[in-house]
Amino acid sequence: MEVLGTEVEPLLMLSSALLVYGLFLLWRLFEQRRNQNCYLIEYACFKPPDYRKLPTNMCGDIILRNKNLGLSELRFLLKVIVNSGIGEETYGPTTVIEGGRQCFVGTLDELFRKTGVSPREIDTLVVNVSMLAPSPSLAAMIVNHYKMREDIKVFNISGMGCSASLISIDLVQHMFKSNRKMKAVVVTSESIAPCWYPGCDKSMLLGNCLFRCGGCSILLTNDYSYRHRAKFILKCLVRTHLGANDEAFNCCMQREDDTGTLGPRILPLREIFLFSVRKYLQKLKGSKDVQAEGTPRVNFKAGVDHFCIHTGGAAVIEGIGRSMGLNQYDLEPAWMTLHRFGNTSAGSLWYVLGYMEGKRRLKKKDRVMMLSFGAGFKCNSCMWEVNRDLENPGVWEDCIDKYPLQDLTNPFMEMYGWIHDEEAIVNYVKEHPEYADIAAKRAPATARSS
Amino acid sequence: MPSEAPPALLSSVKLKYVKLGYQYLVNHFLTLVLVPLIAGVALEIARRGPEELLSLWQSLQLDLIHILCSVFALVLVATVYFMSRPRPIYLVDYALFKPPFTCRVPYATFMEHIRLIGNLDAKGVDFQMRILERSGLGEETCLPPANHYIPPTPTMEASRAEAQMVIFSALDSLFERTGLKPKDVDILIVNCSLFSPTPSLSAMVVNKYKMRSNIRSFNLSGMGCSAGLISIDLARDLLQAHPNSNAVVVSTEIITPNWYAGNQRSMLLPNCLFRMGGAAILLSNRPRDSRRAKYRLLHVVRTHKGADDKAYRCVYEEEDAQGNCGISLSKDLMAIAGEALKSNITTIGPLVLPASEQLLFLFSLIARKILNRKIRPYIPDFKQAFEHFCIHAGGRAVIDELQKNLELSAEHVEASRMTLHRFGNTSSSSLWYELNYIEAKGRMRRGDRVWQIGFGSGFKCNSAVWRCNRTIKTPFEGPWSDCIHRYPVDIPDVVKL
Repeated sequence: MEVLGTEVEPLLMLSSALLVYGLFLLWRLFEQRRNQNCYLIEYACFKPPDYRKLPTNMCGDIILRNKNLGLSELRFLLKVIVNSGIGEETYGPTTVIEGGRQCFVGTLDELFRKTGVSPREIDTLVVNVSMLAPSPSLAAMIVNHYKMREDIKVFNISGMGCSASLISIDLVQHMFKSNRKMKAVVVTSESIAPCWYPGCDKSMLLGNCLFRCGGCSILLTNDYSYRHRAKFILKCLVRTHLGANDEAFNCCMQREDDTGTLGPRILPLREIFLFSVRKYLQKLKGSKDVQAEGTPRVNFKAGVDHFCIHTGGAAVIEGIGRSMGLNQYDLEPAWMTLHRFGNTSAGSLWYVLGYMEGKRRLKKKDRVMMLSFGAGFKCNSCMWEVNRDLENPGVWEDCIDKYPLQDLTNPFMEMYGWIHDEEAIVNYVKEHPEYADIAAKRAPATARSS
Repeated sequence: MPSEAPPALLSSVKLKYVKLGYQYLVNHFLTLVLVPLIAGVALEIARRGPEELLSLWQSLQLDLIHILCSVFALVLVATVYFMSRPRPIYLVDYALFKPPFTCRVPYATFMEHIRLIGNLDAKGVDFQMRILERSGLGEETCLPPANHYIPPTPTMEASRAEAQMVIFSALDSLFERTGLKPKDVDILIVNCSLFSPTPSLSAMVVNKYKMRSNIRSFNLSGMGCSAGLISIDLARDLLQAHPNSNAVVVSTEIITPNWYAGNQRSMLLPNCLFRMGGAAILLSNRPRDSRRAKYRLLHVVRTHKGADDKAYRCVYEEEDAQGNCGISLSKDLMAIAGEALKSNITTIGPLVLPASEQLLFLFSLIARKILNRKIRPYIPDFKQAFEHFCIHAGGRAVIDELQKNLELSAEHVEASRMTLHRFGNTSSSSLWYELNYIEAKGRMRRGDRVWQIGFGSGFKCNSAVWRCNRTIKTPFEGPWSDCIHRYPVDIPDVVKL
């Protein structure tokens, strides 16, 4: 056979054609493997407007307004709030949908502006809001607002509690592994208003005291060409579901109380947290001989430089700190976030991350571990590697210099400590006649027919 | 008139044969070209004789190195090719919830309830009755126990009870049929649009069946009647990333908390159409399941029309003037559904249509662009690509609209119409009841392709394409087993009440 004037064997031609095809396939496989990393390009936390702040006196007013609460409930609430570690600048909800829209649009506008990515470039959108799932979904609301593409893959995750943020990241990570180059946005938030509990069951009142408004939007990609711009690279993500254990499952459940009022019931969390953290540490290090008291023999600080702990409450942060052997420096971001923003549920991890960034703690090659817990009972964690030195305070911009605070006590005891003393109650009511029924030592509301 | 009929008949018959001939030519083009070529080569070989062939072989001057290199190259290419192909996803089996007889809502019960609940005036009751007459529902659809009270008692406990009844029953049935142990489930996805408690329904399933702690669970909510296919898409992506795994998808809609207690007309339709139902599906990518699996997933295509404001608002959950929460359906629903379907078809067409249809579509597109804009756009004949159609039983109007748009026959949409009649609109699980109908009728043969189309709030149109892996034998157990012999029934346009 003659080609271009030279003798070419047909077999040689065939082999070379096959080889070229083989090389092409190999390159495609390599490209696929290379594009499987999850890069976090940017994140934007939500800072509600100032008129939504909840200083001590406003919180007090809101609670006293609830005529269903008797003296013992008020005293219980005071104890909870005083020990909560929550400060004067946390944010409360407005209306349900409007508040949600404010959060999404605020954070997404900022995200798109900072990164220069247009909404039409987004291939996947994951929204997680635990307590609210209207039809059409909140994800559809975002697609409508930003006029996103028709072939966008949208997921709306609901009911998965405070650890839903990492579940969304897990979902996106899986999509990255099986798809070509894509950009994904994860919007994580919580809607406080629909689960505001106006009744008087103590275990259900906790939610009102601890949860605050907040949220975050995160832009992720698996495109290799973004590796220099990315802030973090996801190294691994581990999920644990303790739902098989009945006690764990029932510890945080939304149900109706005796009078038929709907609210979230949260049982004392300390034991559940300790139990789940113990189980979780066992799983992480694969060791089955963790000591019975819950102190691990492995040193987490060897592999991890920074810890982002879900700000579920003072008990959670203390519990984790003790179990993992963390010191004051490690727990500082979590304590300060709890003070400044309260428990913003799924979005809290990102506020903690923002604090670390604002304090310039994050340097290239550092490893950050995010740890979160949620209803179910789920315990999820992931490890990010910092890709470049970070210094943008983001949502902490106006107050990062005030922190860290040495004294985390809030003025609640000062302003409302009188509730423990009978005479002080009478004096208070003389000055504030609208609260006259407190002096009547009203008993807790009995079960009413619904 | 007999004398007039033959010319028209003849011409239509001629056209039919021309069309058939064209399809055969284009679709089997490669075969038609290769067969004569191979025949020619074989003849040539036979003519030359063995000695000449041997001398030809020796003249190629092949030595061991050449042969080894070629074999190596071939093996390398084959390996890399097989490695880079996506893993096949199999639907091993699925199980459906069969509502208990005691939950039945015949027409009389429904109308009596509407009158006694007392929030509708006489005109409203009349309106509701007219919807029911034209709905295409039968007398055996079911509502959950809480909705049988007068007035309905939509507490959280009642909603959870319905969820447990539906989901656990479907899952029990699935585990029994497939022999799967709950501890072996790797991925769990639950989708329920209008009920999303804390902890989630997926956590409820994990708790009941004591599933493993490293299960990957997801709870999708608010995504409407097309959420079932969204869950299948998510399961597919997860299974691509995890070799040797299985996934359980639970699709349901919990009716208890969603009874509309007001009297705004645009919100009354869901009360009439939505009924209890649920499905549990087992997907797997394990090679050993390829033998016993019922179907293989070929494509999933998702279309989201949310960018258009009208489409976004056409199925909207909101409060009416009195503060009653309900789902309002806009008047443009059918038009928007048609648009969404068109977008979906544009993407799925090239993936599934045979070459003949694609060429025709291309020609008609060229003709429209170059020659004359007035030529009607060619609607590809999807009956060439699929043997069975499962159209979401959203309501009679949806099925009518799709039958018209896709030019389907009554038999193609029979499964959808009969499912609407027997079970009502069970939202995301309706597609599975329809598939089960086709199997119960003994129509599912190995190699048949099924097209599932779901529509939902947002506005989304999602499609899934499955290929039947093994012929499904009848009779079997399932929600249709006691009534399949009565179907198909003739559903009148208006049932006089």
